[in-house]
Amino acid sequence: MATSATLPRQATEIDAALRQCASGDKIALKRIYEAESARMLGVAQRLLKRRALAEEAVQDAFVLIWRHAARFDPERGSGLTWIYAILRNRALSILRDEKRTETSDTPVAEETASEEDDPETVMSKLSDAKALRACLEQLPEQRRSLVLLAFVQGLTHGELAERVKLPLGTVKSWIRRSLLALKECLG
Amino acid sequence: MSPSPDLPLGPEERDMLAGEYVLGLIEGADLAAFERRLEVDAELAGAVARWRSHFAAIDATAPAIPPSSELWRRIEAELAAVTPLAARPAAATATPVRPGAATGSRLSDWWNSLLVWRGAALAGAVATILLAVGLLGALDRARRQPVMVAVLLTETNIAAAVVNTFGDGRVELLPLQAIAVPEGKALEIWTLWDRAVGPRSVGLIERARSTPLRLDQLPLGANQLFEITLEPATGSPTGRPTGPIIAKGTTAQAL
Repeated sequence: MATSATLPRQATEIDAALRQCASGDKIALKRIYEAESARMLGVAQRLLKRRALAEEAVQDAFVLIWRHAARFDPERGSGLTWIYAILRNRALSILRDEKRTETSDTPVAEETASEEDDPETVMSKLSDAKALRACLEQLPEQRRSLVLLAFVQGLTHGELAERVKLPLGTVKSWIRRSLLALKECLG
Repeated sequence: MSPSPDLPLGPEERDMLAGEYVLGLIEGADLAAFERRLEVDAELAGAVARWRSHFAAIDATAPAIPPSSELWRRIEAELAAVTPLAARPAAATATPVRPGAATGSRLSDWWNSLLVWRGAALAGAVATILLAVGLLGALDRARRQPVMVAVLLTETNIAAAVVNTFGDGRVELLPLQAIAVPEGKALEIWTLWDRAVGPRSVGLIERARSTPLRLDQLPLGANQLFEITLEPATGSPTGRPTGPIIAKGTTAQAL
């Protein structure tokens, strides 16, 4: 997998730690925490904006990683991708949940994202070595932004439409066309 | 967007749906339907894994934010009530649903490998990741009718929260009221099925929010007490409720 190609040592360490978690070794979970929690919090913070919610997502993710470690099969993919998939799912469901039952004055979706999270800044940080970067660069800027805003900030189709002031149907079809172009480019 | 789960998806439709899912663009009922399909459709699972692996590069651009020192302690407190599934002798019986689902996707890999030019190896390779990810969705969304329900009442008989238990062993807490949680405190959820054993912690949340409860191997029956107490942020220091009871109630069979 792409992730394990850039981080071979770290990736196999995570795979090994997940195996140890499955047999009940809490120190192995702590090792994953020490290696990845800061980056995971960064990912969650980009989605959830609020620090407290982001920490909650990371907390839930680690409990789920611990609980389901036995379901991770190192022969079937990278452990790193597996733990980020768990984190993203958890963060997205907190995000959608918060929007439904908003209790604070500022809805999460309206909280200002850090400039660090805007699509072109994210693009500039993407590793040159990644096929993804070259493929994203081939998309028109506005379409690339839609893809990145969805993934990085967790915006929905409706929120994307509002952000770029375009009809919902246009946004949906642009995303699909971007995905199609990405898929062809990535092979 | 959600075509019937029985209809096969064309390869392009499958990749587009998988891409939208990984971008977080499938919501609500469509999301639940997609995740159900993911558990049985190895080709779709393969498409999702490919997108995840490509987009992992974007997560790698996230700034590293050192978590507060409390975070690991909160995780540890929550783990105290949880043992990984494999480490438990009763794991085989604890998850009756999953093994069947896994067998199903292996069978469909084999089937596909006879019919489709694309090797099924990759699709099978990622089925495990996706089974787990699909399961996370199950934690959040009540897909089935609860088997038992407990309404937790405050001292003044106001319904503060509901505990729902499901046929597949999931148990969730849904708050009905905002609950004031002072700084440095958290809400701990307990269950008591036998006075001789005493209450066991099944969850710790820093504010009122819906949360899966971790009953694991603990017994679960009708007339079982659930209660929420106010505890230190890292959970009760004694493993027993120490703070005031916020709300409590006992389970009853749902009709």
